[in-house]
Amino acid sequence: MTTLMSEAPEIREQDLVPQRPWSKRPTSFWLAALLGTAVPLSFAGVLYFTTEIAAPLLLIVVYLPLQLVSAGVAGYVAKGKHGILDSGLIVFAIGSTILSAVILGSMLATIIARGFEALRPSFIFQNSVYISPSTPLDYGGVGHAIVGTFLIVGIATIISVPLGIATAVYVTEIRGRAVPYVRFFVQAMSGVPSVVAGLFVLTVFILTGVMRQSALAGAIAYAILMLPTVARTAEEVLRLVPEDLRTGALALGSTRSRVVFNVVLPAARTGVITAMLLGVARVVGETAPLLLTALKNDQTVVNPFSDPISALPTFIFDNVAQPYPDAVTRAWGAALVLMVIVAVLFTLTRLLSGRNSMNK
Amino acid sequence: MAAETPLRDLSNSKKANRADRAFSRVITGAAFTSLIILAGITIFLGAKAVPVIQDQGLSFLTTTVWDTIGVPPEYGIAGMLYGSILLAVIALVIAVPVSIFLAVFMVFIAPTRVSKFLTNLVDLMAAIPSVIIGLWAFYVLVPPAQEWQSLLNQYLGWIPIFANESGNFTGTPFIAGVVLAIMMIPIVTSVTAEVLKRTPPELINAAESLGCSMWTMLRYVALPFGRGGIVGGVMLGLGRALGETIAVFFVLKIVFDINFFNIIESGGGSVATLIVSKFGETSGDFEVDVLLAAGFFLFLMTLVVNMLANLIVRRTERLKS
Repeated sequence: MTTLMSEAPEIREQDLVPQRPWSKRPTSFWLAALLGTAVPLSFAGVLYFTTEIAAPLLLIVVYLPLQLVSAGVAGYVAKGKHGILDSGLIVFAIGSTILSAVILGSMLATIIARGFEALRPSFIFQNSVYISPSTPLDYGGVGHAIVGTFLIVGIATIISVPLGIATAVYVTEIRGRAVPYVRFFVQAMSGVPSVVAGLFVLTVFILTGVMRQSALAGAIAYAILMLPTVARTAEEVLRLVPEDLRTGALALGSTRSRVVFNVVLPAARTGVITAMLLGVARVVGETAPLLLTALKNDQTVVNPFSDPISALPTFIFDNVAQPYPDAVTRAWGAALVLMVIVAVLFTLTRLLSGRNSMNK
Repeated sequence: MAAETPLRDLSNSKKANRADRAFSRVITGAAFTSLIILAGITIFLGAKAVPVIQDQGLSFLTTTVWDTIGVPPEYGIAGMLYGSILLAVIALVIAVPVSIFLAVFMVFIAPTRVSKFLTNLVDLMAAIPSVIIGLWAFYVLVPPAQEWQSLLNQYLGWIPIFANESGNFTGTPFIAGVVLAIMMIPIVTSVTAEVLKRTPPELINAAESLGCSMWTMLRYVALPFGRGGIVGGVMLGLGRALGETIAVFFVLKIVFDINFFNIIESGGGSVATLIVSKFGETSGDFEVDVLLAAGFFLFLMTLVVNMLANLIVRRTERLKS
């Protein structure tokens, strides 16, 4: 019955209602916006170069009011009285956008510019044994911290991904009575501050003597932070799997576990991988839990149970406020390496979720 | 949907075969991990908080002194609790308008291609680790921010919140609030853009055809429609601001006295940052217990904020569907 229904061409709401007609703006709009900005900007620019007034003062006391007035005039000419409020809205909207873009641009530019000062093969592959904050940059590196980050994140993934997917499977496949509660707890858990996750592992595993401060302890703290992200994303992608696939498999006599492992999860394959990557991206830069549960170590550690271990975030943390310029440059170098990892994860999730929506 | 579906919970069904029942039970068990962890945090940190509260009574929450090895020891996190809230308020005041304007630009003003680019930009901003934001803030943001603050003090110093007697503009709640605002903007923006996008196009078209300007349409159609979602998004950002540790660590000077409102005066408080900054230099196991107790109250605070946020977001979602 359901299959017959779904064969009929579906009439979507989008086809009946024209989409976003307000988003089409005539060229004259952008021209007016450009002209309305150029005048006050050049005036403030002239003042900046000819007088001694401080730049932030100029921006807020001179440029902003002028910009509002000039945009208001442009708006009044174009649309009359209503245009004035609209123009103010547009000025603040574009201003907020530029502000955010400048902040992000400044971060990325500094990370890249300062990070490259530290970057060299030895920086990637060597560890920091015998390296003091004042040692020149040609010696020592973050190799041990890269290994540490991969080790900790790897173990955290092994712990949290099965649990996260199981939570999602419970909500979308088992559909027990506790579904609303499970979703509520997952959401509540996503608000646990990272430092509290670290404190929890510290109390339960380290102060009780079950384990030492090590990669495993750090990984458990990371897993606590990853779990809600993985569970929520996995739930969203499992929901996209068509109900017909499930009922079809059940009608052929599959057991429930067969349906999940051979039909639902394979159908949502890319989505499940996206969930995992988003979880990793969530935790890879977390510092506070590692400060409590993994401490630091200048040696390369591969045994997750035995010794304290450094990771990229804790390496950055240790080197930020050092009075030695080379140590600070090392922190920027580590920030660049960490940012590259984050960027790779970010791009991968974009590519995968793009493919996912095409399959739909 | 769940009522008419042939799929249902088989954990206790007599008709189901053994494999199905076992599978259902294992998955159900795993689904309760989050409950177990939340309960675990409450129980274990709560157990550590009990002796501390017994030792100091409620003055643990009202004292502004930190002397854990004194005889008798005297300590409290009043300055930190108040500081956390002050920082969050500063961050909200800055981040909320910027985020809403940015979201309005993305949804209603920018051409589609620019809008897609901005969505990626906001998501990337959310993905930057807090330790990197702290590093950037320490070296790039703080020097000009000191200049802004001295200008604020010079021209608006007669307003009490912009008073500064020491002439020292480092480690102020204002800078920490700005850093938290930078971390909140992507969260609030993406939630706001999401709810604004869901405004029914018929309503917008109707408003436009009645001759509403963009401002009127926003004021009377889009913002009222998305109000619940936006408030929820702001509270999610607030939860993050309260729990943020590392970025604040680099830009805020922790002092135990309550800095009530001198936001550009050096020194402030933050529970999360206190834990990390004191953990490295603890004078014995007892101080660790005190920090765990502080963590317990931080956990309670963020849990309440986050639950409220989720309830608001979910209620508005249900109203709309």
